[in-house]
Amino acid sequence: MLFQVRHPFAIPALVIVGALLVSACTGAAQPGSSTSPSAQGAPVAGGTVTIPIGADPTLNPWSPNAFVESLFINRAIFEGLTKPGKDLAPAPDLAESWNTAADGLSWTFKLRSGVKWSDGNAFSADDVAFTFNDIVLKPDLGAQNRASYAAVKSVTVVDSNTVRFDLSRKFAALPSFLAYNSGILPKHILSSNPLTTASFNKGVPVSTGPFKVEKYTSGQSVSLVRNDNYFGPKPYLEKVVFTVVPDPNTQIAQALAGDVTIMILDNKAAVDRVKTANGLAVVSRPLVQYYWLALNQTDTRFTDVRVRQAFVHAIDRQAIIKSVESGYGSIANSPITPALAAYYDPSLASKYPYDQAKAKDLLAQAGWTPGPDGVLQKNGQPFKFTMDVGQRGVLEPVNALIQQDLKKVGVIAELNTMEWNAYIQKDVVRREYTATVNWWTYPSDPDVFPYYHSSAAGKGFNIPGYQDPKLDDLLVQGQSASDLDARKAVYKQLQAYTSETLPYLFLWYPQEIDVISTSLNGVPELGLRDAMHYLGEWWLAKK
Amino acid sequence: MPCTTSANGGWLRSDLRFAPADRSGLAAPAVARFLLQRVALGALVIVFASALTFFFVNLAPGGPASIMRFDVSPEQREALIRLMGLDRPVPQRYMEWLAGALHGDLGTSLLTNEPVTGRIADRLPNTLTLAGSALLISIVLGIPIGVVQAVRRGKPIDHLLSLVSAIGLSVPVFWLGIVLILVFAVSLHVLPSAGVTSVSSDTFGDRLAHLVLPAIALATTILPTVARFTRSSMIEVLHEDYVRTATSKGLRPRTVMMRHALRNALIPVVSAIGALVPRLIGGTVVTEAVFGWPGMGRLALEAAQGRDYPLVTGLTVVVAAIAVVATLLVDLAYTRIDPRLRLA
Repeated sequence: MLFQVRHPFAIPALVIVGALLVSACTGAAQPGSSTSPSAQGAPVAGGTVTIPIGADPTLNPWSPNAFVESLFINRAIFEGLTKPGKDLAPAPDLAESWNTAADGLSWTFKLRSGVKWSDGNAFSADDVAFTFNDIVLKPDLGAQNRASYAAVKSVTVVDSNTVRFDLSRKFAALPSFLAYNSGILPKHILSSNPLTTASFNKGVPVSTGPFKVEKYTSGQSVSLVRNDNYFGPKPYLEKVVFTVVPDPNTQIAQALAGDVTIMILDNKAAVDRVKTANGLAVVSRPLVQYYWLALNQTDTRFTDVRVRQAFVHAIDRQAIIKSVESGYGSIANSPITPALAAYYDPSLASKYPYDQAKAKDLLAQAGWTPGPDGVLQKNGQPFKFTMDVGQRGVLEPVNALIQQDLKKVGVIAELNTMEWNAYIQKDVVRREYTATVNWWTYPSDPDVFPYYHSSAAGKGFNIPGYQDPKLDDLLVQGQSASDLDARKAVYKQLQAYTSETLPYLFLWYPQEIDVISTSLNGVPELGLRDAMHYLGEWWLAKK
Repeated sequence: MPCTTSANGGWLRSDLRFAPADRSGLAAPAVARFLLQRVALGALVIVFASALTFFFVNLAPGGPASIMRFDVSPEQREALIRLMGLDRPVPQRYMEWLAGALHGDLGTSLLTNEPVTGRIADRLPNTLTLAGSALLISIVLGIPIGVVQAVRRGKPIDHLLSLVSAIGLSVPVFWLGIVLILVFAVSLHVLPSAGVTSVSSDTFGDRLAHLVLPAIALATTILPTVARFTRSSMIEVLHEDYVRTATSKGLRPRTVMMRHALRNALIPVVSAIGALVPRLIGGTVVTEAVFGWPGMGRLALEAAQGRDYPLVTGLTVVVAAIAVVATLLVDLAYTRIDPRLRLA
């Protein structure tokens, strides 16, 4: 999944306005104000929270048009069988409990009883079966996120409060995946047209969460109010308003003007400016996300693991984190992020120190020696290739930094900057690329099968097209091991193995920076989009 | 007929100040014929623009945002292409679109599954309000500034205003927009930062307050041009014989300026303003993004980035129609200002 600024002016604006924000004088600056919100007594009811989003959302988690801006509201109003716990392990939502069969080929979920949709109709196992059998598993509909459920054959209604997922292979991560953008949809509303009903997706959908949509004004805002039919405790907040503000710098200005209660700071260059603002706190949150450099494995220069390892040594990743993330991130050497604390292996963090000599040495071992102009060559061919750069988020400056680092060890990378949509077509759909930087965000589970398995090489999410039977074996073992300790052991091996073989060149794990009004409380320490699952617990201190 | 140029032909008409004598005697049927011809030509321009846009946007690399996601599998992509009918040839799809468009149906948005006409109708009033206000500011400020510069030609005030104009022209709108927000919303707290209304109140005064900053930012894209046009046109007119005659007749300088000089000087300025309307509409793209203004400019940006083919084409048709109508209006205004072209 791709989370980032979708704005054509983001980069020039970032540079100019970043400087401007740092120097702008508001008169209200109060250096040294608290950087984490403090609890302010017992929760009180009432108040409106305002959150900016980048574009009009699509209020249907399975719609192919539900992009990143849709996640906030979809996670707040639709509920899945599970949700990410505050430790990111799957926690009960519409399901109370679950267990897997002895053979691991099915999972049974016991549903919460007495749940109603926001229009008053009863929620039942039929809605779950409808959501999966008639939407997700229907290939013709092209439902978003359906690739996550490739192992699910069908969902059977056992009784009105029980469903069973029948699988074609073992799928230990199912409860975690169900917590990730997998909200259950109302059968009684959407049975004829589940994914493209505009009055639902762009209007007032029927949902089960603590809040429901009150009004959707295209290009302006979406407001939520309490759902009186909600099964759980009544939420504290009276209203939550999502304002559509496309420009990330305008969002910052709005926060400084006091018009925003909580937001993700996309332009991290502005973090110091925001920190000094009165009434705002800045917090960092772990993300299940990592940046990588993919080297196309159809190019024989990159099939030599020494070349890949040399590149990682050559790239000053700490400098990249400092430069584009304002320091909010850590070096990555495997796909399992520190946010998945139960699985993450911190011992790998220092595996590839920034070391040009080591890089040159490894490249020499692979047969690449300096030519007269300092550029490495092998069999008379210079080490030159093109990196495609998609115009989004921090990708442009990151590529420029990598280009400089590679040049220092005699490797010439030419940058080919492309408009995002065209970039996806060339690099992802057609795989017509040599090298490219991007990132993955995935469900809160270490099952990274779709991004690494050889079956996905050249067409699915295995972007470099890396194929390795031993890695395949580890990925399958991870899906088959159902108890936590067994899974931990497999994924520890997987981290060690991927850090050694580098299917992708791992760059860094970013952190999210959230700007929060000091009057807002009860927000769990999760990425803001995950914290939306807990919107019912948020509350505003009385001013 | 000298006046048969299309959307951007306004520039060509500045030389009509020295209009041939036969124009002064235009009869009503001639005017009707002229108007009819202009409307027909305008319709042709719009159809041509729609065809060009439809084919070019389909030729552009990439595809609808839903299939050009990083996290969409190949089989999902194929299913979506079939669902959206994009597996059919472009000419066939255009003819179907055109058939619908002739009946007022501009198709269905690929991004939202809503009718394109509805999406544009939602946003059009906001853009017209914003662009109209910016135009008003540009005329109300631009013309007097140009006149002052012409009258005080070469004096310090002329140089100062020229400098300000040059700065106004060269400052990018997204930068100016953020500066305006930081100064007036963040520091001074006198105006709202973004959006078209406040979350809690939706009154006329509130809407007006939200309009001020974006309208000023957008006005800078054309105001300096209006001022410069007025200045040069005014300077030229001030050297005309009839101005000298009027002055030597002993008329008050103010009367000479307003009735004799300005009136004639405005003719090319009005033409220029007509030609500036497309630039103004283009400027809304950036202004609306910075100020979170829910107008057509932002819609166009989203449609282009998301390769929403029917929406991009629909928006082009509407903008082309606005340009055609603006040109027509300029021609009509023209006949009001130039006494030699007055109708019947």
